[in-house]
Amino acid sequence: MSSSTLATKRTEPPAAGGRASTTPRRHRTRHAESRGAWILLAPYLALFLVAAAIPIGYAFWIALQKAPTLVNPASGFGGLDSFITVITDYRFSGTFINIFSVMIVWLPLMMLGIVGLALLVHASPGRFGSTMRFFYFIPGALSGIANFVLWVYLLHPTQSPLAPLWQEVGFGSLKEIVTDGNMPMILTGMLFFQGVGTWIIVVNGGLNGIPDEIFEAAKIDGANAWDLAWHIKLPLIRPWIGYAALMNLAYGFQLFLEPYLLRQISSGAIAGEWAPTQLGYAFAFTNRNFPAAAALSIILLVITLSIGVVIVMKSGLFGDEKEKKR
Amino acid sequence: MKTKRFLSASAGVAMISAAALVLSGCSADGGANAPEQTDSGGKITVWVDPPRVPAAEAFQEAHPEIEIDVVQIDGTVGGQTVKQAFANFDSAGSGWPDAIFFPSNDDIAWATGAASNYAADLTDLLPDVIDGYDPAVLSFCDIDGQIRCLRNDAAPDVFWYNKAFFDENGYTLPTTWEGYGDLAVQIAAEHPDKISGFLGDAYAVNRYLQAADCPTNDRLSESEVHINLDDPNCVRANELLTQMYEGGALTTQGIFDGDAAAAGVNLVMSPGAVWWGNYLFRDTWKIPAEQMSASAPLTWEGESSPTAGNEGGGLWGVSSHITGKQLENTLTFATFVATDPAWQVELSTGLPGYGPIQDAWLEKLEADGYFADVAGVQQAFKDAAGAVAPYSYMLYDTGAAWTETVSPTLIADGSISDALSTFGTELVNRANSVGYTVTAE
Repeated sequence: MSSSTLATKRTEPPAAGGRASTTPRRHRTRHAESRGAWILLAPYLALFLVAAAIPIGYAFWIALQKAPTLVNPASGFGGLDSFITVITDYRFSGTFINIFSVMIVWLPLMMLGIVGLALLVHASPGRFGSTMRFFYFIPGALSGIANFVLWVYLLHPTQSPLAPLWQEVGFGSLKEIVTDGNMPMILTGMLFFQGVGTWIIVVNGGLNGIPDEIFEAAKIDGANAWDLAWHIKLPLIRPWIGYAALMNLAYGFQLFLEPYLLRQISSGAIAGEWAPTQLGYAFAFTNRNFPAAAALSIILLVITLSIGVVIVMKSGLFGDEKEKKR
Repeated sequence: MKTKRFLSASAGVAMISAAALVLSGCSADGGANAPEQTDSGGKITVWVDPPRVPAAEAFQEAHPEIEIDVVQIDGTVGGQTVKQAFANFDSAGSGWPDAIFFPSNDDIAWATGAASNYAADLTDLLPDVIDGYDPAVLSFCDIDGQIRCLRNDAAPDVFWYNKAFFDENGYTLPTTWEGYGDLAVQIAAEHPDKISGFLGDAYAVNRYLQAADCPTNDRLSESEVHINLDDPNCVRANELLTQMYEGGALTTQGIFDGDAAAAGVNLVMSPGAVWWGNYLFRDTWKIPAEQMSASAPLTWEGESSPTAGNEGGGLWGVSSHITGKQLENTLTFATFVATDPAWQVELSTGLPGYGPIQDAWLEKLEADGYFADVAGVQQAFKDAAGAVAPYSYMLYDTGAAWTETVSPTLIADGSISDALSTFGTELVNRANSVGYTVTAE
């Protein structure tokens, strides 16, 4: 839905110990440096313009238009009407309740899983650690459709390896398993296994960036493995944790494919407008109300952007605090 | 007949469509100004769902002189990809196919609505073809007096039953809806594994509510609709379904569910479209030959003639944006797929909608030898079209409102009355959301 977050997804977390020049240089050197910076930034800026800034600006403009209706096919300037249409839609609050009900289960588990497993992998030296890292990554490699198909089989009440469990609980058909009430659990399972492996690698990368001297110094001071993890590693990888939280939260707000396909396998038992993005899709293509669809995109953008800013501030994602402390 | 394709939407499609949300607004107001009709000089592009690909291939064989591009589309009933493409075409003012097999019959509502106006008025373009149809079969294409599409196959509901099971157990075939309800409960008590109906698919609303003449899709004008689930006609359907559901005779599964075959082989009787015979019983659920049979639609007690629903029976549309040689070739295509025995009789699994070739198709049932009582089935198929209750396809998707509310409510331990009440609320909300004025009278 919002291509802005797609664009930011590609950016890597900033290195924790980026070394800025400490002594003032001559003006000429600074000029050359800043030119270099702009050249390096240019490809990103171009993509940002095409994939984020221009579509967002365009969405704003569209959202202020008036949609033609059955009775009145004329369009024109509509002010904030499309926002009112979106917010007063009978499905609007429901779609947010739906994704919150997933995120409240999934996000804490996801963050605990990522950080806990990454610390364990990092604390396991040699072949065992790297084997486990590979092992965790496998479900992540089964991303998108492959992961989804796997889950369709896991959920199937007769073909699944979990079938005895489903039948024990009294589920006899896909329609009885894929229900609104079970959606938070199903999506938590799908999203957790799809994402956790990749994120362990990312956070593990952060852990590998911590200089060994720090661990040696801590050990000399009598720190055990637990102290190392809790008092040394965890505070140092806070930016990576913030980055993981931000990206997963953004993914949660953009849920589309998973509920869309779960609707198909349950033969329509899950609402077609289950998530906010799907509601936007329905505004655009069922109601032919592009302004309302654009308005909903903007509402989602504002929410994810606000949460993003809070996370960036709190986690020191851009490394400013660390620089000050040193 | 429609098929439900499993996982038909790909990740790419969904992602692109999500991204297209923002981008497709490019000229949101472009649809209002109808572009001029164009002429390619002869080449045509047609969109067909997977089961209709053989129709396009048969056309290519019969008309090698016409250059044609056949595009296979997502055929999911209630799917959104085609709608999405057309919203974009209408905004851009170009890109439409010249002819299309609409994946859902509901599609005819937007295709003839003011915002799109894609489907050409065929009344004066194909008068001879239109004359060949029983007006009852073509009623869904008749929008405010204009014939805006051609029916591929007629899909009235008949009353299907497992003749072998009935003979073995000495049950008498019901002729009224009330008799169907009583017998269903009796069979469920005596044979707990047998079922007498499916509730969980989008066509169940036609099978039971349309058959009761319950106003869910009562079109008053382009912007007004009559919906009232408290209407006495809806109440009788409610009572029938409550009796059968509480008696354990109905399943919450739908006929298209991926895991429906296990229930399907235990179906002993049900109203169902004529295409159920070949498509569901024979090809999908693999029920052995010489078991299933059909009789005429059921009658409500106190009424003199039977009433039935209609399940699909696809629609062919022709673009209103073309002219000249391109239009001529497209009309040749539309005529072929609607009327030519090479497709309709030899290849199509559904009863042809076009009258003059129906008998040839019905004769094939004898050679097939699948049904238990071929003569009875042929007669039931012929009689059914006239029994179909009036129903208009609307801009809201009645079938989707049904699948999202009825089975989920029942699975969550609600009653049929709860389910129908939730369905009614959802339907009114949807109708309001797309811009209709809803009246209860």
